Amino acid sequence: MSDDLVARAQAGDQTAFRELYREHAGRVYALCLRLTGDGRDAEERTQDVFVRLWDKLSSFRGESAFSSWLHRLAVNVVLNERRTTGRRERRVMPTEDPDSVVGAQHAAPLHGSGLSIDLERAIAELPDGAREVFVLYDIEGYAHGEIAQLVGIAEGTSKAQLFRARRLLREKLER
Amino acid sequence: MNEQELQDAVNRLPKSIEPPRDLWPEIEARIGTRAGSRSWQRRWYWVPLAAAAVLVFLLIARAERSAWDVTALAGRPLIGTKRLAASGRLRVGDWLQTDDSSRALIAVGRIGQVEVRPDSRVQLVVARTTEHRLALAHGTIDAKVDAVPRLFFVETPAGTAIDLGCAYTLETDSLGKGLLHVTGGEVEFQTGSRASRVPLGALMQIRPTGPGTPYVDDAPAPFVRAIIAFDFEQRGTRARATRNVLALARAQDAISLWHLLQRVDVPLRGLVYDRLAALVPPPPGVTRRASIALESRALEGYWTKIQRIHFRIMVLRGVREIDPRTGLARE
Repeated sequence: MSDDLVARAQAGDQTAFRELYREHAGRVYALCLRLTGDGRDAEERTQDVFVRLWDKLSSFRGESAFSSWLHRLAVNVVLNERRTTGRRERRVMPTEDPDSVVGAQHAAPLHGSGLSIDLERAIAELPDGAREVFVLYDIEGYAHGEIAQLVGIAEGTSKAQLFRARRLLREKLER
Repeated sequence: MNEQELQDAVNRLPKSIEPPRDLWPEIEARIGTRAGSRSWQRRWYWVPLAAAAVLVFLLIARAERSAWDVTALAGRPLIGTKRLAASGRLRVGDWLQTDDSSRALIAVGRIGQVEVRPDSRVQLVVARTTEHRLALAHGTIDAKVDAVPRLFFVETPAGTAIDLGCAYTLETDSLGKGLLHVTGGEVEFQTGSRASRVPLGALMQIRPTGPGTPYVDDAPAPFVRAIIAFDFEQRGTRARATRNVLALARAQDAISLWHLLQRVDVPLRGLVYDRLAALVPPPPGVTRRASIALESRALEGYWTKIQRIHFRIMVLRGVREIDPRTGLARE
């Protein structure tokens, strides 16, 4: 049970922490992959999330579901990393110009089949800002107010980015 | 591909994707280094040195953590009896006071900030990483917090505002009469066993007796008057006030009716439930019987649906028209 694992990991039990990793790695990796749009970045961020989790585990007090708490932690780790290093700026899509995504390459591995594959690919190819808002709003269910706080943008910008992301995705999937 | 087809495709995406390789060995190495660095401390001859170091560290850390940074935004607010110049530190127990022309910004540890408006008096009560607590004796604050729920609390003469990850404005007079306006996320306001949940885009009147019923910020004035009458006027008039609220309620007012359901006298619960269900149908699994019995599972299930619709209406204001019964976009 996750609760027991959390309690044991909080007490410093690395075996329990490894089990927590096994239980939640897929969910965290999926989030990191979609937020970064890059497989290698997603692996690094997933590792960062679990190292950060090890440090922060003692502050988890069980007032929300552990998976929700971890999810929020993961979002913060990914977004903070982007803010602090500007790594994204060196990637294949150096601009937020929607037109520039045509023909962009990505390193994200593909999962699922058919439309899901196309959609995952199209999400990875979105401009950074649009992709983050789309992933957080449409896939992860955050509200614009929360996204604005997390990403450090205005709510209006979040709405505009979502509108742009959906339009770009529809266009790409119709090709 | 239209909007709905895109949404359907998004909904089919897997929530979990296994990493292409096992990431655990590198994680283990990174956390193992930290754990390993602790192992030497277990050797007996390190104990006195380690204890001394820890003591010094704790003293320093406690001194640091028990104070928050404060910046004067206008005028010269007071911390205790001293005028704040440009910036300073607010320590646990200190009072920060603004006059009619001064404002200040308090950094809430590392999780957010509070702007203290003119004519306000605020005390730092607790400053720990697991609990951030202010007391607002009177005046107005604007709080913005980015943290997991229930890390930031503001005590007022009438009760406590509990942050659930949000932004809000809270005002109160010294007796406890005030107003809460939430502009992001959600806030819980608690007085004894009575609590209200106020989501983004909602307001709530507060009186010395406790929190009122939340209502959306564009609610028609007659509806707001009916809510206030129900909450704070004489108990003998509550049945009439309840019927007024129900008659004036729209689907957008579901957050108010959800609270009302738990506050009306037992004979009126069925009436409130029926009106609420007519405006926003309950989600699957939530029954009339369980709701009227105030079973927490039913109430939580209903709240989740109401809250989700409410958030969509609020965040898509001016962008998309949302059906307040279902939360779906209108074509």
